[in-house]
Amino acid sequence: MNSLAKERRAMGVSMIEANGVFLRYKDGTEALKNVTLTIKQGELVYITGPSGSGKTSFLKLLMGMEQPTGGTLKVFDQPMTGKEREIRKLRRKIGPVFQEFKLIEGRTVLENVMIGIRFLGISPKKMKEAATNALHKVGLSHKISSKVENLSWGEAQRVAIARAVVRKPALILADEPTGNLDYENAVHILKLLTSFTDSNVTVIITTHATHLIENEKNATFLRVNAGEFTIERSRNGGYDEDIIL
Amino acid sequence: MKTLFYNIGYFRKEAAKTIWLNPLSNLFSLLGTGLILFLLGMVMMGWSIGDHIIDSLQKEAEISAYFEKGISKEQAEALVEDIKQIEGVREATLIGETEARDRMKEILGEEAHILELFDENPFEAFIEVRIDLELMNSVLKDVKEQKGIEYVRDNREVLEQIRDITEGIKLFGYLVILAVGITTVIIIAHMIRQGIYNNKDHINTLRLLGAPNSFIGFPYLLSGLFLTLLGGILAAVLVTLLLEGGYQQFGGSIPFIPLPTKEALLGNAVSFLIIISALLGLLGSLFGLSSIKPHDTK
Repeated sequence: MNSLAKERRAMGVSMIEANGVFLRYKDGTEALKNVTLTIKQGELVYITGPSGSGKTSFLKLLMGMEQPTGGTLKVFDQPMTGKEREIRKLRRKIGPVFQEFKLIEGRTVLENVMIGIRFLGISPKKMKEAATNALHKVGLSHKISSKVENLSWGEAQRVAIARAVVRKPALILADEPTGNLDYENAVHILKLLTSFTDSNVTVIITTHATHLIENEKNATFLRVNAGEFTIERSRNGGYDEDIIL
Repeated sequence: MKTLFYNIGYFRKEAAKTIWLNPLSNLFSLLGTGLILFLLGMVMMGWSIGDHIIDSLQKEAEISAYFEKGISKEQAEALVEDIKQIEGVREATLIGETEARDRMKEILGEEAHILELFDENPFEAFIEVRIDLELMNSVLKDVKEQKGIEYVRDNREVLEQIRDITEGIKLFGYLVILAVGITTVIIIAHMIRQGIYNNKDHINTLRLLGAPNSFIGFPYLLSGLFLTLLGGILAAVLVTLLLEGGYQQFGGSIPFIPLPTKEALLGNAVSFLIIISALLGLLGSLFGLSSIKPHDTK
């Protein structure tokens, strides 16, 4: 980790602040219950828990795809109850990796990665360079011209990751990013995603693959069960009161 | 603006993909738009031809003022000068008895021998007054009030009919433009909505990545504009063919109708169709885009 990132993290700038957050879907399902936590800039957070426990729902709240039905949630110090226009602006600072990838069919791998930065005012040459570099990082340089519908699940997942990181986001939200990858690729992708904390990027990863992350020392582990968050282990193995109140 | 400039190629490709995603439906929209614009083109041509004819007839609109018997030629010429000063009079000419007879001979043609039956010239001298049709009533009144004028023969009924026809054609033209405009906007707006619906996953992804609405909508706006413009070009081609054929077929056989030149008519019709199709395409696309709500694409 570089010294600036260490300094900023030490300063404790909040990236996400949740205070008594509830999320109840229209069909009555209570997805999140009384979530109160603070995640700081540059933090690496793993969220684990069984299927349907509320991991993806929490990420949806952070993306502004859903709005809290109770409590307050702030991302980048912005309440997540704002107008669609404000939410869109906020999303431009986020690198999302969706569980179902959300790649655009009929377009090439390169086009799918470039779409993440097309509306950020970057010149076509720089866009292409950035996208090519991101694809190189996820090991897909050789698939640059392939149509995404012709990729394997693992490859599609890596394209989704390249599209998230190409934007140089301040916050990466990855929903099961290793779910479809073999062991070697999963380790590689986790290493790539977690490396962004060195640049003071906050990285939040939901995963089932606890065997891949159990030796991680610089992360905070949160567990969700039936919509309730508990802290399993904080950075360096200790309990961090700053994270869950 | 920078984003628009940097992504011109992307927008162009996306617009083409939107069109190709549903080629048959878009082809029908294109043909429908083209035919509607063709109808508009025909109405516009009718309007132009009608306007030209009315204009020519208006220029020819005239009344005949007959003066009292016993007036000398000098007095008649002075009367002509007085009439020329009346507002709404374009021209006033003294027509002698002989010229009046010659004109009738010309009108009667082969039947002119009937005039030989008269021992004396039955025609009177009169003042031929060309008038501005808009001011017909006031001109008639002023000419009648001139000292020395016995009576005025006007073609009031004919002239009023001409004026009514002009108004009617114009009103019809406005109604057709309104109907065609609304229909084209609806077709294009529906096509845009269909395109957006077909690409809802794509649009949803862009929204989740934070793309602004202007970026998401621009390819659809381009595709709507392109298809309507293509419809306009199709209509212009059909109008050109119709006009070429029409002038060849009827141009020489109806010499009594003062038609405008083919080139002028064609130039006006083609440029009108291209401009109106671009405007309607833009309007339809914007209407289609604005009618989409976020939940439509979820």
